This record gives sequence, C-alpha cells and structure tokens, in this order.
Amino acid sequence: MPLVRKPSSQAPAAAPLALGEGTSEQRWSAVRAAADRPDGLALLADALSRESDPRVREAIFTGLARLATPESAALVVPYLRSDDANLRTGAVDALRAMPQACRPHLPTLLADGDADVRLLSCELARGLPDEEANRLLCDLLERETERNVCAAAIEVLAEIGRPEAVPSLVRCGTRFAGDPFMIFSLKVATERIAAPARDRR
Amino acid sequence: MAETASKRILVIDDASLVRRYYRDALERAGFEVDEALNGVEALEKLLAEPADLLIVDVNMPQMDGITFLRSLRRQAPPIASIPALVISTEAGPHDRRAARTAGANFYLVKPVAQDTLVQHVSIMCGLSA
Amino acid sequence: MNEVDPVSQEELRAICEFLYRRTGMLFGEAKRYYVQRRISDRMNALGIAPFRTYFAYLRSDADGEVEKFVNAFTVNETYFYREDHQLRCLSSDLLAERVRAKRRGEALRIWSVPCATGEEPYSIAIWLLENWPEVDVQDIEIIGSDIDTQCTAAAAEGEYGARALMRLSPQLVEKYFVPAGKDRWRVVPELRQSVQFSSANITKASETRQHGLFDVIFCRNVLIYFDDASRRVAAENLFEALAPGGFICLGHTESMSRISPLFEVRRFPDAIVYQRPLIGGNGAGGKGGHSNG
Repeated sequence: MPLVRKPSSQAPAAAPLALGEGTSEQRWSAVRAAADRPDGLALLADALSRESDPRVREAIFTGLARLATPESAALVVPYLRSDDANLRTGAVDALRAMPQACRPHLPTLLADGDADVRLLSCELARGLPDEEANRLLCDLLERETERNVCAAAIEVLAEIGRPEAVPSLVRCGTRFAGDPFMIFSLKVATERIAAPARDRR
Repeated sequence: MAETASKRILVIDDASLVRRYYRDALERAGFEVDEALNGVEALEKLLAEPADLLIVDVNMPQMDGITFLRSLRRQAPPIASIPALVISTEAGPHDRRAARTAGANFYLVKPVAQDTLVQHVSIMCGLSA
Repeated sequence: MNEVDPVSQEELRAICEFLYRRTGMLFGEAKRYYVQRRISDRMNALGIAPFRTYFAYLRSDADGEVEKFVNAFTVNETYFYREDHQLRCLSSDLLAERVRAKRRGEALRIWSVPCATGEEPYSIAIWLLENWPEVDVQDIEIIGSDIDTQCTAAAAEGEYGARALMRLSPQLVEKYFVPAGKDRWRVVPELRQSVQFSSANITKASETRQHGLFDVIFCRNVLIYFDDASRRVAAENLFEALAPGGFICLGHTESMSRISPLFEVRRFPDAIVYQRPLIGGNGAGGKGGHSNG
C-alpha cells in the first residue's frame, strides 16, 4: 500500500506588499491583509478608489464587510450608482454582508435621488429586523413614484411583511392599477401576509 | 400547447414575484418552467439539464446577468448557444450594449405584460406566436 | 399523533428561497418533501403554528433556529464513502486533469476540511487505492484539517464504530481495518500514515496559508453555517489554498452561488464541482464587454 508519504514543507506566502502596487495577485494579498491592520479602513478606501481588477475589488469589499462599520459601508455605497452591473452587484453583496453597518444608511439610501439606488436598497432592508424593515419599506411605498422601486419593496414585503403593511400595499396598488405585473405582485404579497393565522398551539 | 410543452424555459431573476409572474404566464401557455436566483445557480442548473430558452435579469446577487451571459457563451455546446432574452429594469444604453456584447439575443425593459412575454418566448423558441 | 399544519407549495418555495439566501443550501423539487417534514417537526417541537409564525421565528434566527433547521440535513452523516459520486469524480476526472497540469514528480495534494473525525480523508485514501490506477506512480498527499483538535486527535487514532463503516464492503473493512474491541475497528497503520491531520479554521487566512497549495479541496457542509461576511472570507481563503486550475467539492445540497463568484463551475459525469480559474478570477473577463462601446 504505497500511499504513505512524508509531509512536504511548503513555504508560507510572502508578506503583503504596499496596496495599489504590483501584480493583481500581489494586490489581492495586500488588500486581504489590510482589514486586520489598525489603519485598514483608510488602506481599503485608497485601494478601492484605484482598483480595476474585479477579483481584487471583491477582496476589498470583503475586507470592508469584515470591518462592518457605518464608515466601511459608506465606502461601498457609491458603487450602487455604477453603470457596471458587475460593480453594482458586488456593492449590494458587500453591503448585505454587513447588515448592522448598513442600518444607519438605509433611511437615506431609500430616499436617494437615484431610483436605481432606492431599488437596490430595498433588498438591503431585508437584513433589518422585521419591524424596522416594514416601517421603512411602507414609508417608501407611500411616497415612491418609480414603479420598479415599488416592485422591489413589494418583493421584500412578500417575505417579511406584517399585517400592518397591507394598507400601504393596497394604496400602492391604486397608483399602478393599469400595470399587470404590479397587480399580480400586490395580490401575491398581500395573500402571503394575510395567510390565515391561527393561534399558537 | 403541444409544441410549447416540449420547450423548457429557465427564468433567472432574484425577485420571487417576477419569477412567479413569468412562470404563471409561461405555464398557462404550456411551457415547462424552471427558476434560478442568480447567474451561478443558473449555470449549475444548465450544466445538470439544458434549457431551450433563458430569461435573464441584469441586477442579481452573486453573479449579475451580464457576467452570467459571458460565462454562458464560454461553456461547451449545447449550453453556450441557448438563446437568452434579457428583461431588465435598466433602460439605459450602457446596459443594453453590455447585454448585447455579452451574448443576449433580445432585450426587453420591465414592465413586460404576460402576453408580450409569451409572444417573445414563443418566437425565440421557434414557435409561431 | 401530531396534527400537522399543511404547508402550501408557495410557502415551501418561500422557505427554500430563504434557506438558500441564508445558507447557500439548494433544495430542488426532489428534496422539498424533506424540507416539508422538517418544518412540521420543528413546528411541533416548538409548539408554533401556523407556518407563517414559524417562518418569522426562523428568519429572526431566535435561539439559533437556522442552525437547528439546517442540522437536520447534515449531521450524523460522517461515515466512510459518503457522497461517493464525488470520489468517483475525483478518480475518473479531477486527478487526471491535475496530473496533466503538473510537472513530473510534483505531489498531488488533497485537502479534507473540515475533516471531523477523519472518515472523509481516509475514504479518499481508500478510494484512490482501490479505484485510481495511477495511485502507485503518483506522489499523493492527503491532509485532513479541523478547527476542533479533539476531532483531529480522534482522526489520527483512526478508530470507528460499525455505523461509520456501514457503506464499506466486508472486503474493504478487512483490508484496511483491524478489529479493536466489540464493534470497533481501527484503520491499519499504513493507511493512518497516509493521511496527515492538522488544525485549521477556514475563516483564518493565517491558518489556511500554512497548509500550502492543493489540487483538490473537499469542503462539505460547513459554509452553510457561516454568515455572509465569514463565507466571503472562507471562500477567499479556499481560493488561495487552491492551485490555479484546482478543484473544490462541496456538500450535495450546497451551491457555490451563495459563496463566491471567484470560482468557475465545472460539470463532470459524476459531479458538479468548482474550479479556481487558471488565470485571474471569474470576473476577469469583465472588461472586454465595455471596450467596444
């Protein structure tokens, strides 16, 4: 039985270089180490502003998600406005990974002037406690004019919605009475929320 | 109905209500419908069982629709050549161009009515609408 | 007998979607029945009804409910030759591809992490000895690591009960184990020397890096317990621990899509596995799409 072998000794990875320098492999190692340093936030902020390699940028987002402070979340927020779908996705995923850090930003984000930002922020509200998410999303539904933003809010409420959300959903429906998708969504969402509730046994 | 029943449509969208809406329309028209919540899950499903047509959203977690299409077109046939209908909230020229370059066959902007959807899907599956 | 609240298809779909978003576990139509049963079990155990109330309880993760729910699909499954389709994939496809990519004489390195009490790394060793024709000519290194040093100590001892061996034929048991008391068997010394054990926490880069580069990593049913941030870190650590072109195998209900866009998904006849791309990551091709606009 010849599988037996001596353990090999592999050299440990080289110490991280300065950020923003070297090959993408070296930059990846450097940004990955940054979150553990006391000046990590500043290092990652600087790296994010200069980085163009998607994989290294993902690692920067991960580092910011590990820090998980309102400041690290604030660095990711501008990327919700990107023209590049890959970047927008990366930003939402990173913010989703730090729900507590997003919390102070959400009221502002849900009232942002850019409809795309409001739309993506609805998904982030899913990470909040139910009551808070219901309140924020219902407030949005009452004032929101963009159909796709309303659709995103309804999507989240279809899962986390409480009975208190039903009036806002109904009022929203009156504004999109001619829109088959919205009628469909609102019907499914209100059905789910109002599913027959019996008492705890 | 007889010809639509043999066509399998994979709907790729992170919004459950959107998938429900498409599924509802397509199943009534006789299509077989499967769902994926993002690009990676879609690739996993397609590698297990190919589809006749893909309906792809752009903004999705983990792997967005554009990155998914690029990855799809790099796969081995027959998966690489499955036609893709992109349906997105993004109406801007940047996203349309990115989708086309990545390998989308058609681009629609939400909202899409159910009969419009069935019509496009039928045509793209080579059936008379 | 407990009365069970009926759960609609719609509700079942909603809970599967939540579990997928939260854990990366994918429950296809075929597995929905088990999900439904588990929901009923948990609702009965907790005395919670209707479904909507339980779903809110699960989402709030009160008293670690997500882990309790998920455990039902993974625990008590540490036996030899578990998920042997992946082992078949290893010997029929993955290793051949890795051998082609390597220099002559360079070792093939396989990592089982977390390895719990060692059933998986020993299974890999036995499987290769039994099923991979090149086992005698290739230099193969198998490492099992776990965060729990009690587990790795037990793994190094290599002593198992009948339940762990249930999937092995009597011939294999006789060949690779010696009796060690009533209903106990111990892995033969040569096989024990074929597998090294170490401690590693896959969310700590400093710990994963010490293990060097691997050709194949088995990382089953652990990422599902992590929150998003830890999962991202673990995925990056595993990416770094793979040689370019190396493979990673996850548990049967796990989907990489909740874990990381870093890897490419590859289909082989026996399994779907994930691969570290030869150059860069998955998004590396991303810039081409904007250049001709």
